[in-house]
Amino acid sequence: MAERKQWKWAADPSLNKMEFTKLEKDGLDVIETIVNTYSKEGFASIESSDMDRFKWAGVYQQRPKDGHFMMRVRIPGGILSSEQARVLAKIAEIYGRDLVDVTTRQAVQFHWLTVESLADIFDRLASAGLSSFEACGDCPRQIMGNPLAGIDPHEVLDTRPIVAELEKFFLLNRDFSNLPRKYKISVSANIHNAAHAQINDLAFTPAKKVMAGEEVIGFHVWVGGGLSAKPYLAKQLDVFVRPEEVVKVTAGVTTLFRDFGYRQKRTHARLKFLVADWGPEKFTEQLLELVGELEPGGIDLTSGWNGGYFYGIHEQRQAGLYYAGLSVPVGRMNAGELNELARLADEYGDGTIGTCNTQNVLIRNIPEAKVAAFREEPMIVNRFKWQPNTFVGYAVSCTGTEYCNLAIVETKERMRSLAQYLDDTVVLETPLRIHMIGCPNSCGQRQIADIGLQGALVKTSNGMVEAFDIYVGGTLEEPQFNRKLNARITVDRLGPFLAQLVTLYKADRQEGEPYWRYVERVGLSHIQGQVDAILQPA
Amino acid sequence: MGEEQAESYLYKLEAVLEEGRLLTVVVIAKTDERAFSSAENNLLRHTITPPRIKELSLVEKKPLGRQGVGYVVETSTFT
Repeated sequence: MAERKQWKWAADPSLNKMEFTKLEKDGLDVIETIVNTYSKEGFASIESSDMDRFKWAGVYQQRPKDGHFMMRVRIPGGILSSEQARVLAKIAEIYGRDLVDVTTRQAVQFHWLTVESLADIFDRLASAGLSSFEACGDCPRQIMGNPLAGIDPHEVLDTRPIVAELEKFFLLNRDFSNLPRKYKISVSANIHNAAHAQINDLAFTPAKKVMAGEEVIGFHVWVGGGLSAKPYLAKQLDVFVRPEEVVKVTAGVTTLFRDFGYRQKRTHARLKFLVADWGPEKFTEQLLELVGELEPGGIDLTSGWNGGYFYGIHEQRQAGLYYAGLSVPVGRMNAGELNELARLADEYGDGTIGTCNTQNVLIRNIPEAKVAAFREEPMIVNRFKWQPNTFVGYAVSCTGTEYCNLAIVETKERMRSLAQYLDDTVVLETPLRIHMIGCPNSCGQRQIADIGLQGALVKTSNGMVEAFDIYVGGTLEEPQFNRKLNARITVDRLGPFLAQLVTLYKADRQEGEPYWRYVERVGLSHIQGQVDAILQPA
Repeated sequence: MGEEQAESYLYKLEAVLEEGRLLTVVVIAKTDERAFSSAENNLLRHTITPPRIKELSLVEKKPLGRQGVGYVVETSTFT
């Protein structure tokens, strides 16, 4: 066990219970205990206070808490190698009942792991330069980025070295392993806000500034975003950050969160609460005190929002090379399919695979001469399509009751089959983003969806029936969270209901008008009227 | 869902009455089914004339492992 830090908040008697747990034993120390004790002595040997600390190892108990675990693996910036993919596939095959999920933060998630398997899994991950450590817990989580970094025609600089530096700086860094709460960072130089800046605790977006007669490409900084039960959009600070200053600024913001973030109430601990109290001006002053002078903000280089979608086969920044954005319906695949992706990446690309925050994947660096053959690959034609149908292609789902202790309803398979039904029922050529979640937490990022579906259970004469509340109009284009309609639709009616709602939009929309903008134009009461008419008994 | 859950949860349910009123009910239970029956019992205890429930829904649950788990029931919108 490493030497214990003397944190300045340690003497505060009003800390919440979890803070005392973290002071007693740092979250990172559980890794050693898992390897040396729990993985040898089994589930029954796990001390209850350590169960919370398992999150620092990237591991949670899965529903129904019968000895199985979920593990999240960090994929920094959403780029992994084919060799890493094969290691992940092997873990899923041996220990994870052949299940691999791509998450909304570009991580990879396993289920069904036992504590006995964890030491070997940590070793396998480390052998491939991967880690699950700090993928959960009160620490810097998976760093989100642009999965096209380095090849993106729409990025202003290659962010891969920056993400790698951040990962190196933060991973297992005990200066930052005891934050007040989870902490999410995104870095992207894609001008279409590929990494969802406004819903991260700390985000970097592309900017430029003329300094001493020279145009410098760098970043603007956003702090305090997050979804959960009370979503909040990040605020932009009036600073311009050069690429070489990103790590320093990130360390500064994280230090502010660590030292001034709230630790009395766990529900009031995320960075967004500090940012809301201080405001961007005071936050900037405090940051500059820590990291030294920074230039004031420059010219924003962001333009709209791509939603994190990259479907199709597109020219890269490098002439003669292409990338393929592929659909993984609701982010779920098996080990064989991940191995097949690795083969495709090797055979057609440069051996790298991108994971997207839309739960999808990319193959990078395909030479022009290989594009035609790539398109004909059975996996691409039949499974991970580059031109998916609208609804399957833009469907996102959390884990749901299948594995999550907080979920009220099943989501993953339901969202997949619902999207398939909509594709079979309504012809819509333009994207319509539907996100389904199984509880009021926000793993499926319901708030930013065109149509968000949030699970509930309804008591009927036939027993409990799963149902969904409907939210409309979410976007990060002109950032706003979707709003709730007065409708709770049971699952037997959900498909036909949505088909009718979407058909009305299709008939009424202006040319090229996305659903969120349509909601904005016609108004929520108009949409409520549509809903009431659909639900009226025949 | 169901009897598999060993630990208790704090459940939040919503009851829409036929007259249009919405009541929020919070109960402790070990299973979703028991949460529904407890909510119905509490609704009965709360009223002299049994309420005519149009729809009863379970909308959230939180594990009771930590002290202080609870809900805020909004009666107006906060920023």
